[in-house]
Amino acid sequence: MPVFYREIATLMIESLNLEVTTDEIALDAPLYGEGLGLDSIDVLEVALVVSKRYGLQLRADSVDNQHIFSSLRHLADHIAAQRTK
Amino acid sequence: MNTSNTHWTRTPERSNMLMLRIMTWISLRLGRRAGRVVLHGIAGYFLLFSASGRRASRAYLNRVLSRPANWLDMYHHFYSFASTIHDRIYLVNQQFDLFDIEIQGQELLHDAIDAGAGVFLMGAHFGSFEVIRAIGRQVPGLRVSMAMHEDNAAKINAMLAAINPAAVTDIIGLGYIDAMLKVSERLDEGAVVGMLADRTLGEDIMLPVDFLGSIAYFPVGPFRMAALLRRPVVFMTGVYLGDNRYRISFEPLVDFTCIATGQRGAVVNAAVTRYAALIAQHCCQTPYNWFNFFDFWQVPVATAHVKS
Repeated sequence: MPVFYREIATLMIESLNLEVTTDEIALDAPLYGEGLGLDSIDVLEVALVVSKRYGLQLRADSVDNQHIFSSLRHLADHIAAQRTK
Repeated sequence: MNTSNTHWTRTPERSNMLMLRIMTWISLRLGRRAGRVVLHGIAGYFLLFSASGRRASRAYLNRVLSRPANWLDMYHHFYSFASTIHDRIYLVNQQFDLFDIEIQGQELLHDAIDAGAGVFLMGAHFGSFEVIRAIGRQVPGLRVSMAMHEDNAAKINAMLAAINPAAVTDIIGLGYIDAMLKVSERLDEGAVVGMLADRTLGEDIMLPVDFLGSIAYFPVGPFRMAALLRRPVVFMTGVYLGDNRYRISFEPLVDFTCIATGQRGAVVNAAVTRYAALIAQHCCQTPYNWFNFFDFWQVPVATAHVKS
């Protein structure tokens, strides 16, 4: 897995205390519901941690949210493209 | 359909909506007095024909009254429920002068609003939450966004549109990530976000808590969210006292503003436990305000996670 994807996976595991390793998070599996099994509050937590660490705002009115949180790959790609720090 | 074990999220609310339409029509045309006469008929109808509602009412009243509940108790319970639904029609139409409303602890809300950082207002299906509409004059700057289950949000919006299309209510349907971010943005603007935290949103972690004599399962989600967003939480009830009287009370529940991340789980569980204790206290004081007409003590469905 490329380094940045691994970094985001680690970030999620640490902030949510997930009992999986980075290798167990499939790049294209859904984060929400089935797949990794996060609920909406977990996803909110990830959004807060991501905005703090990488300086990008995830906004409620963004039409892309569904896409961004659909998988680790999409989330990491979005962060890489939008990060300010 | 097995009504005895049907979880509330799957119970059709068709009968409630029908009841509401009939009542809105009568109430706005004939006035509150006449409407209340009809309520007796409606309460009687539900008492006779809603076996599941009757079973739930009896099971609850047996606990809280510490004696076997009789038909008169159950009738009182149904009538009290019908009254609050009926009064919602007037509250949504801003006819506040019809009511005698006592308010306790509003300084808690004042302080939170003055601080400008947003506050959660947690209520329950107990009495009337809608009665908060009446206190805009006492609490300047009060803006309440209600956060609730997506399906209920759609129903409530339909209901409000039926009662008074001009009633502006900001409802956030909880579901996907956007809703949670919206809650967060509202709080940043200094708004009050109201939630009824006694029913699960469906996918929630449930915490077993001793409630009126035995274990009931309370959803942890609303408090997890409040803790994550680091906001104070105020408990609110709008208790119906009979006739045209209500008593709104605000009580401190928990302040998540400064918790360390490592302690979050424990602090959240303590908050849920305190929330349940506050409701139990109100149940003992004004028992006929409990409006969860299903088996509240049932073990959660398999999809929910029970916290050990």
